[in-house]
Amino acid sequence: MSSTDQNSQANDLSTSPQAPVDADTSVDNSAESKDTTHFGYKTIEKDDKISMVAGVFHSVAKQYDVMNDLMSFGIHRLWKRFTIDASGVRPGNKVLDLAGGTGDLTAKFSQLVGREGKVVLADINSSMLNVGRDKLRDKGLVQNIEYVQANAEYLPFEENTFDIVTIAFGLRNVTDKDKALRSIYSVLKPGGRLLVLEFSKPEHELLNKAYDFYSFNILPKMGELVAKDGESYQYLAESIRMHPDQETLKAMMENAGFEQTTFKNLTGGVVALHKGYKF
Amino acid sequence: MQTSNNQALTQLNTQASTQVSDSLLLPQVATATIELIINKALALNNNKLVSFSAINQKTLTLKLAELSFPLSFTVNSTASATGIIVRTHVESSDCTINTSIKTLKKLKAKQSLTLLIKQDELDVNGDIKLAQQFANIAQSLAIDWQSELARHLGDVPTHKLLHFGNKITKSVSAAGKKIEADIGEYLVHEKRLVVTTSQIASFNQQTKDIASQVDSLSERIDKLFSDIAEK
Repeated sequence: MSSTDQNSQANDLSTSPQAPVDADTSVDNSAESKDTTHFGYKTIEKDDKISMVAGVFHSVAKQYDVMNDLMSFGIHRLWKRFTIDASGVRPGNKVLDLAGGTGDLTAKFSQLVGREGKVVLADINSSMLNVGRDKLRDKGLVQNIEYVQANAEYLPFEENTFDIVTIAFGLRNVTDKDKALRSIYSVLKPGGRLLVLEFSKPEHELLNKAYDFYSFNILPKMGELVAKDGESYQYLAESIRMHPDQETLKAMMENAGFEQTTFKNLTGGVVALHKGYKF
Repeated sequence: MQTSNNQALTQLNTQASTQVSDSLLLPQVATATIELIINKALALNNNKLVSFSAINQKTLTLKLAELSFPLSFTVNSTASATGIIVRTHVESSDCTINTSIKTLKKLKAKQSLTLLIKQDELDVNGDIKLAQQFANIAQSLAIDWQSELARHLGDVPTHKLLHFGNKITKSVSAAGKKIEADIGEYLVHEKRLVVTTSQIASFNQQTKDIASQVDSLSERIDKLFSDIAEK
């Protein structure tokens, strides 16, 4: 359920992905190396990941919002609302909505920062960015939003530019997450904060099992029916399992320089919101 | 000791319920619902004189005793549209009101704001004018429910429904007025004639005193008769 088709990673093993929970979803975590990375459960050349993830999001861009509502039963709106509440955004703030996709967070931020503020909707995928731009313009949100096609690992902004950076359901698609976190840290102003909303590891085993069943048996079928693309949603399920768990991501943020790093589990840990400050 | 234990237990319960409500995102469900209702009402407003320009980007926060989370209302007014964004947490608010739903009802009943503040039922921090501006706007909204309903139900069913609704409202209102008048009559005239509990208790006590006096008098008379008989 991401918005960027950014790239995955070749991190050191402190950022190794969480282990899958049952035999059906097993994967070889040792596949991460200097030249290879994960694409869902597949091991691929690092250089291929950007184009492969791009393919997924070019394919799902038009049905993205409908699928988000269907797959999450609308709960993704509450997760995003929680993120807005936790952001502490004020009028006049400069906000970067990284991997912003179809602009759900940007829409709210745009209203909250007002005319004096600015929101940059950035996404590596042009299809997602176009869908987001059309949607926000249809809502009459034009005055304080900029659109930038950008890779999270190489953010094209000056240092100390933003008060808030958010990345919602995008980090797991980034090839080098550590590099992306450092890049985000650089563009944040001192006192600024990063909020990472991302799928994570459910807190209870029973929920974990039910979630796995749903992800690997129902989700791809829904993708096939609605978006005519079951494979992309199979990738979605796999990429969620390969994403670092709560504690690992927190440690990654701290390694990148973030302070007062915390996370909050939402819906039993299906999703977690990580928050860290730059001082 | 027991009081402090109870307080600790209450605190733990509150923390647990807050954690549960946070995990289930109940505050977000509440704010989303409230935001939807407010913005729907704004969209249906026919009073074009209502202006939000003076309070654009201002935030009013309401901390209700009955709710475990605050409600913050931020105005976003542009040339094309006006909306209210409802959040559960803001870092700074232009005006914060600490109160309860019970007190809000009193405010609706036009009870003096100053009086409620003096009675510690209402605590306002920040720009009190902002709270008044929010209240004024809320009161000046004019929504043509009839037209709106007719778009969904059709003219005739809407007319019948509203006619029926008006009749019910009138009946309820008449009944209310009758009850109010009866209560007034009772308070003004009958209440003074009704014997109070303390008066009944006093009467019972007096009766008991007289009974005991009669008993002792009866004993004295009996004693006198017996003395006379002996002589």
